[in-house]
Amino acid sequence: MRGFGELEAVVMDRVWDHDGPVTVRDLFDKLREARPIAYTTVMSTMDNLHRKGWLARERDGKAYRYTAVASREEYSARLMREALAEAGDAEAVLSHFVASMDGDQAEALRAVLGKFPGGRPS
Amino acid sequence: MTAALVLLGYAAVAAWCGPVLLAPLTSGGTSVRPGLTAWLSAMASALLSAALGMAFMIGVAVADWPALTQVLCREVAGKMCTPQVYQSALYPAGVAIAAAAVVLAALVALWRYGRRTQRAVARTRLHARTALLAGRALPGTGAVVLNDPRPAAYCVAGRPAAIVVTSGALAVLDEPQLGAVLAHERAHLAGRHHLLATVTRGLSAAFPRLPLFAEGTEQVSRLAELAADDAAARAAGRWALVTALLAIATGRAVPGTAVPATTFPGTALAAAAFAVPARVERLLRPPGRGTVAVSGLALGLVSGVLILLPVLLAMVARG
Repeated sequence: MRGFGELEAVVMDRVWDHDGPVTVRDLFDKLREARPIAYTTVMSTMDNLHRKGWLARERDGKAYRYTAVASREEYSARLMREALAEAGDAEAVLSHFVASMDGDQAEALRAVLGKFPGGRPS
Repeated sequence: MTAALVLLGYAAVAAWCGPVLLAPLTSGGTSVRPGLTAWLSAMASALLSAALGMAFMIGVAVADWPALTQVLCREVAGKMCTPQVYQSALYPAGVAIAAAAVVLAALVALWRYGRRTQRAVARTRLHARTALLAGRALPGTGAVVLNDPRPAAYCVAGRPAAIVVTSGALAVLDEPQLGAVLAHERAHLAGRHHLLATVTRGLSAAFPRLPLFAEGTEQVSRLAELAADDAAARAAGRWALVTALLAIATGRAVPGTAVPATTFPGTALAAAAFAVPARVERLLRPPGRGTVAVSGLALGLVSGVLILLPVLLAMVARG
């Protein structure tokens, strides 16, 4: 499912897990331990992420030092705010598995499931 | 003129009364795909009929306007109205005003549709991209996990699409239940249900206050949910799916490993109006094959009639 943007996800994982700013060289050295990868690939991926607004960078001598624009938790919170928005008018098209239920409905369902011989709903 | 009025009349009836006729046929969720087809056909039928009606109307206006201008001109200006007068300015001006009004109405609808759809697609893709980057991969599933105590699972279309499960959901699901959740979300993506949602929501934005589009959007979304449930039940089993629904909806784990008897005991769920109990009841007491076949056939016929009706009306009314 991650397919096309997989490398971007891997790079973001590493940037978030890293303390402080990272250079392309830092990440390249780490990624090379796990998989065969070209330096230029890492460089262009980080450049893309910078262009798309995920990474900030500042020049340090000849190289750039990259930092994440926001933490993983901040992005998660933003996503969940949109996903769990009470308003049915959320603009993004998300298909939820099931909405949360209030106590009465849940009790009714539990009671029904409890009647099954094999099931032991809590 | 009759043809135009008949077509516009039919479009109006379909837009206002269509839901009343269709809802009882599809509300049980007996045959899901034919139900989806019927709702989409009804919307297409109303749109097609309205478009044909307006086209005829413009045609008639263009053809009859010279005679009409003459009458109008004489009424207003009396003997001052010479052929030079009514043939000069009135004719093109009248036709232009009528055509502009129709085109303007169409453009407003199109603009509303486009704005709503474009925003939805942009927000949806951004959400998917962000989820894929900010979520942690759930190995072997293609899904990503977001750290949040509230149990939730959803899919979001994009390039590529994302299936998102919260850590709160993982905490209350066992392995077969997680399988059911993922199968449900994969079915949404494979069935391109987001496209149906985007188009129907765009149409309700384009034609606000028309019951067919408002109700149609709801029904299409509900039927898509049932289609995904069917796929998940086939892939992971009904019991895993039902217990997963309960676990995520209530935020408490439901032991789901034991496989119960396949038939549902005599107790029906009291309130079928609630979405989740209705979904669960349908899963636990699936309709018989005969019922499914009859319902599917009926809905197929309805869809066919809905699509053909505007064309037939246009041909008959024109003689």
